[in-house]
Amino acid sequence: MSSTELEHLIKMINQIADNIAIGESDDVATAKLADHLKRFWARSMKEQIFNYANSDGEKLQPVAKKALTLLQSE
Amino acid sequence: MIQFFDPRQSGNPHQLLDVEKDYGTPPTCAEDAASTSLVSLTIDGQPVMVPAGTSIMRAAAALDINIPKLCATDSLQAFGSCRICLVEIEGRKGFPASCTALAEEGLVVRTQTEKVARLRRNVMELTISDHPLDCLTCPANGDCELQNAAGEVGLRDVRYGFDGENHLNAKKDCSHAYFTFDPGRCIVCSRCVRACAEVQGTYALTIDGRGFDSRVAAGQDEDFMDSECVACGACVQACPTATLMENSVIDLGLPEHSVLTTCAYCGVGCAFKAELKGDRIVRMVPFKGGQANRGHSCVKGRFAFGYTTHRDRVIRPMIRDTIDEPWRQVSWDEAVSFAASRIRAIQQQYGRESVGGITSSRCTNEETYLVQKLVRAAFGNNNVDTCARVCHSPTGYGLKTTLGESAGTQTFDSVEKADVIMVIGANPTDAHPVFASRLKRRLTQGASLIVADPRRIDLVNSPHVSSDYHLNLLPGTNVALINALSHVIVTEGLEAKEFIASRCEQEAFEHWRSFISKEHNSPDIMAPVTGISAEKIRDAARLFAQAKNGAIYYGLGVTEHSQGSSMVMGIANLAMLTGNIGREGVGVNPLRGQNNVQGSCDMGSFPHELPGYRHVSDESVRGLFEQAWGVKIDHEPGMRIPNMFDAAITGSFKGLYCQGEDIAQSDPNTHHVEEALRSLECLIVQDIFLNETAKYAHVFLPGASFLEKDGTFTNAERRISPVRKIMPPLSGKADWEGTMALSNALGYAMDYSHPAEIMDEIAELTPTFSGVSYQLLQETGSLQWPCNEASPHGTPIMHVDEFVRGKGFFAITEYVATDEKVNKKYPLLLTTGRILSQYNAGTQTRRTENISWHAEDVLEIHPFDAEERGVKDGDRVQVSSRAGATVLRADITDRVQAGVIYTTFHHPETGVNVITTENSDWATNCPEYKVTAVQVSKVTGVSDWQSKRELFSEQQIAFMGTADS
Repeated sequence: MSSTELEHLIKMINQIADNIAIGESDDVATAKLADHLKRFWARSMKEQIFNYANSDGEKLQPVAKKALTLLQSE
Repeated sequence: MIQFFDPRQSGNPHQLLDVEKDYGTPPTCAEDAASTSLVSLTIDGQPVMVPAGTSIMRAAAALDINIPKLCATDSLQAFGSCRICLVEIEGRKGFPASCTALAEEGLVVRTQTEKVARLRRNVMELTISDHPLDCLTCPANGDCELQNAAGEVGLRDVRYGFDGENHLNAKKDCSHAYFTFDPGRCIVCSRCVRACAEVQGTYALTIDGRGFDSRVAAGQDEDFMDSECVACGACVQACPTATLMENSVIDLGLPEHSVLTTCAYCGVGCAFKAELKGDRIVRMVPFKGGQANRGHSCVKGRFAFGYTTHRDRVIRPMIRDTIDEPWRQVSWDEAVSFAASRIRAIQQQYGRESVGGITSSRCTNEETYLVQKLVRAAFGNNNVDTCARVCHSPTGYGLKTTLGESAGTQTFDSVEKADVIMVIGANPTDAHPVFASRLKRRLTQGASLIVADPRRIDLVNSPHVSSDYHLNLLPGTNVALINALSHVIVTEGLEAKEFIASRCEQEAFEHWRSFISKEHNSPDIMAPVTGISAEKIRDAARLFAQAKNGAIYYGLGVTEHSQGSSMVMGIANLAMLTGNIGREGVGVNPLRGQNNVQGSCDMGSFPHELPGYRHVSDESVRGLFEQAWGVKIDHEPGMRIPNMFDAAITGSFKGLYCQGEDIAQSDPNTHHVEEALRSLECLIVQDIFLNETAKYAHVFLPGASFLEKDGTFTNAERRISPVRKIMPPLSGKADWEGTMALSNALGYAMDYSHPAEIMDEIAELTPTFSGVSYQLLQETGSLQWPCNEASPHGTPIMHVDEFVRGKGFFAITEYVATDEKVNKKYPLLLTTGRILSQYNAGTQTRRTENISWHAEDVLEIHPFDAEERGVKDGDRVQVSSRAGATVLRADITDRVQAGVIYTTFHHPETGVNVITTENSDWATNCPEYKVTAVQVSKVTGVSDWQSKRELFSEQQIAFMGTADS
C-alpha cells in the first residue's frame, strides 16, 4: 500500500472528525463520523483504514479510532 | 375584447406572448403583479385591455397593429427619439410618440391617418438623407428595420438630396473580433447605447457630440476592442441597421433557418437560436423566450462557437498500447472492442473495482446518465464521479443536509425581487455574465449588495453599481465570516422567529443557537481571523437580516475550500435564520460553473448516489434500478476522483473511462494527477479535442460538440432545457452513441435510438423527473425539476411550504482553519478564478477569437508584494508552492489585497494546478483550489514542469499526426 494513499485517508478521517466532532458528546461524534464513512467511503478505503487502525492507528484521533471500531462491529 | 396579459404580470408563466414578435416596449414592471389594474382603450377601432403602464405601441402590437418604429424595441425602455411611431389620439392635440405615450382608460387611438402618414414620411426622409442607399449590397439586406420602416411609411423620395454634409464615409471600426461598427450606416437611435446600459449594464457606449455631430462612441472614443465593451452582443442585437453587424453575417450573408438550443458554456444555460445556412452556423442569437436569459447573452455563448469546427477537432477513434507510442486511427468498432477487452482484462487481473468512470458536466443529462449506468451496470461497481467533485460537491452535501435537496432554491428571475443581495465567493460578471446583468439591473433599481470576496470583483465597483459592503476576507476564512454574521443576527435578536418556529427543527436550532451565540463566533473574535472589522461584519449582518427579501448567490469561492461543505451549510443556516427561503426574491443560489454540473449531479454521477440523489445503500432504490437494468448494483459507495488517483498510484486502480473532462488540467496538484494517469493501464478519453488528459490515454473516442447531438442540459436553477442537433456528429457518433458502443462491446447491451428514450428511462426511475419528457419540453421550452405529478410543470421556487426534508436543519459549522497556512517559505496566499472571455480549462474558448482578450493567464499581485520582490508590471514571475511551480507574467493591481495573489486556470501552458495542493473539503474532497501558500519570485525562463510539459505535449501531438499510418 502506498504511504500517500494511506496518509490521505488518515488526513481525511481526522479532518472529518475535526469538523463534525467539535462540541458534540463522544458518542454522538463517534456515531456521526462512523455514519459519514459508511455513506461516503468506498469499500477499499474503509478496508485500508480498518487495517491501519487495527495494526497501528497512532495518527488517528481518538474519535476516529472509536468510529472505526463502531463501524467494524456493525 | 382582447384582454392582453403580460406573462410576468398575470403570474401565469405558461401564458406566453409570441416571443418572436417585437412589441416595441417592454412589459410594465409593476412590483406587485396582482394589484396591477387593467385599462381599456380603442386602437384603430379595436378595443383592447392592457395593464396600466403599458405603452400605446405595445397595446397596439398586441392587436397585431404594428406601428412603425426605429428607436423602440421591447428589450429596452421607451426612448421616444426617432418620432416614426407618432399616432393620433382623439380629443388630444399633437401627435404623441406611441412608444412613450401610455395606454389610458377610454383612449381612442388612430395609428394610420393621413396626417400621421405624412409626418412619418418626413421623419424617414430626414433619416434616410444621411444613410447610404446601397441596400442590395448591405449586410443587413433582408434583416434591416430601417429598410422595413421605410417601406412601411411609403418613402419614395428624398427631397434633400445627398450632396450636403453627411456621415456616409465615416470610418468603420473593424477592431473587434466578432462584429464591425460602421458608423456610416448609423441613425443614432441610441438602441446600442441603451442596450449596453439597460440590458448588459456595462455602460461602455455613449452618444458623443451634439446635433449633427452626434455619433456612437465606445469607451473614451476608442475602438470597440480597446474599450470597456464586454462583447455581450446586446448592441449588435439591438441595432436596427447594419451599423453593428456580426462579422459572420458580413462574410456569409443572412441565415436561412434557425434551431432553438441551449448554450454549452456556463451554468446560466441561456437559450439561443442557432441561425444557420444548411448545417453551418452563421450566428447564435439569444432567444427572447429563454427563461434563464430572457434574450441576453455573453461573449462566450453569443460568439465563441468557432471551436466546434476548429481544425484541432479529432474526429476519428484512436488506440495505442502505451502512451509512449503513436496513435493508430481505427474504426469505432475496433476502438471500443480494444477498450472493452482491456477493461475486462484489467478487471480479471485486479478485480471488479479496479476500473471506473468520470461523467462530464459538459455533456447532456442523457449522456451523463448513460456513463454512470455503464459504470454501475457494465463495470459492476460505483466508481463513478464527475467534475462536480472539484466544484460544487459541497453544495450537494450542504444543501441536502440542511434543506433536503442538493440544488439551488430559485429561478434567475427571482433576483428581480431581491432587496439585499449577498454575493459570496462568486464573480458573476466574469463567470455568469448573463445572470450578472440581471443582478446589476436590480441593483440599479435600488437593491443593496454585500460582496464577500478576497478580491475586488467588478460588482464591488463598476459604473452605476457598487456594493454597500465589500467583505474582503482572507482566503480560507469563509466559515469564520458566515458564523460571525449569524452570531450578530442571533445575539441582536434579528432572526425570523416565526419562520424558524414553523419551518425548522427546533432541537437542532436550539443546539445551533447556543453554538453560534458563543463568544468565539463573535465579530470581535473573528475580525482578526477574517481580516474584516467587527463593525463592518455587524453592519452587513444587520443589513441582510432586515431585508424584506434577502438572496444569497455563491460560487466556487465557497465550495473549493477545506470547509466548503461547512460554508454551504453556513449559508443555508443564514438563509433560514433570516426567513429567506421559499418565495421569490430570496433563497440560496449556487452559481454553477459548467453548463450541466447540476444535471450531471442529478443523473447519479456521484459514487454514493443513484440518479435523483438516492444513496446506493438504499435497497428499495437499488431494487428499482436493478430491475430496470437487469444487473446487481453494488450497495457500497465507489471511489471519488481523488481516491481514484490515489488508488491508481498505489496500483489497485487501473482503468478509467473519462468523458468530456480534462482532469489533467483542471484537477489540483498536477504532478499527482499526472502520476496517477501514467499509472493507468487503460485510459479511455472521449473528447472533442486531444486535451491534456487525452495525452495520457490509450483509447481516444472522438466526442461531439453540443451542436452535434440532441439532449438536455440542466442549469443552476434546476432548469432542464433542450439541446438540439444542428449538424451530424463529425465523428459519426454523438457521445451517447459512443457510450452505447462501448457498453455493448463490454457485453452490457444498450439500445437507444434517440436520447428521448434515455430521458424516458430517467423519468421512470427518478421521482423528481417523473413528469419530464421531450414532448413536454417541446411544449414548455424548459422545465425546472422537481417535475412530477405534484408539480406537472416543474418547480420554479423550492421549499415553499415546507422543506424537502420536512423541517429545515441548522447544522453546526465550527470554523476550523485550513492546514494551508502561510509561513516564511510560502508567505503569500494564491487564490484562483475565471475570466469573462474564457471558460474552464479553456479547451473550447482558446480555440476561438476569445483568445484576443486573454492570450495567457497572468498573476495579479498587489503593488506592496510586487515591490518587495522587485517585480514590475509584465515581469515573468515564478509562483511556487509545496506542490510545484509555474511561471507567468505579473499584473500589478490593488484589486487583490496585499498578501493575496490571484490567477486563472485557462491555459495549459501556465498549468496553475501544478501549484495547487491535494487539500480538500472535509466532507466531499472538493479540492481547496482557493487557498495555496506560495512564494513569488522574479525569473527569466519557465519552470521545470513547464519545460517538461511542452516536450511531452509536442510529442503527443506528433503521435497524433502519424495516426493515419
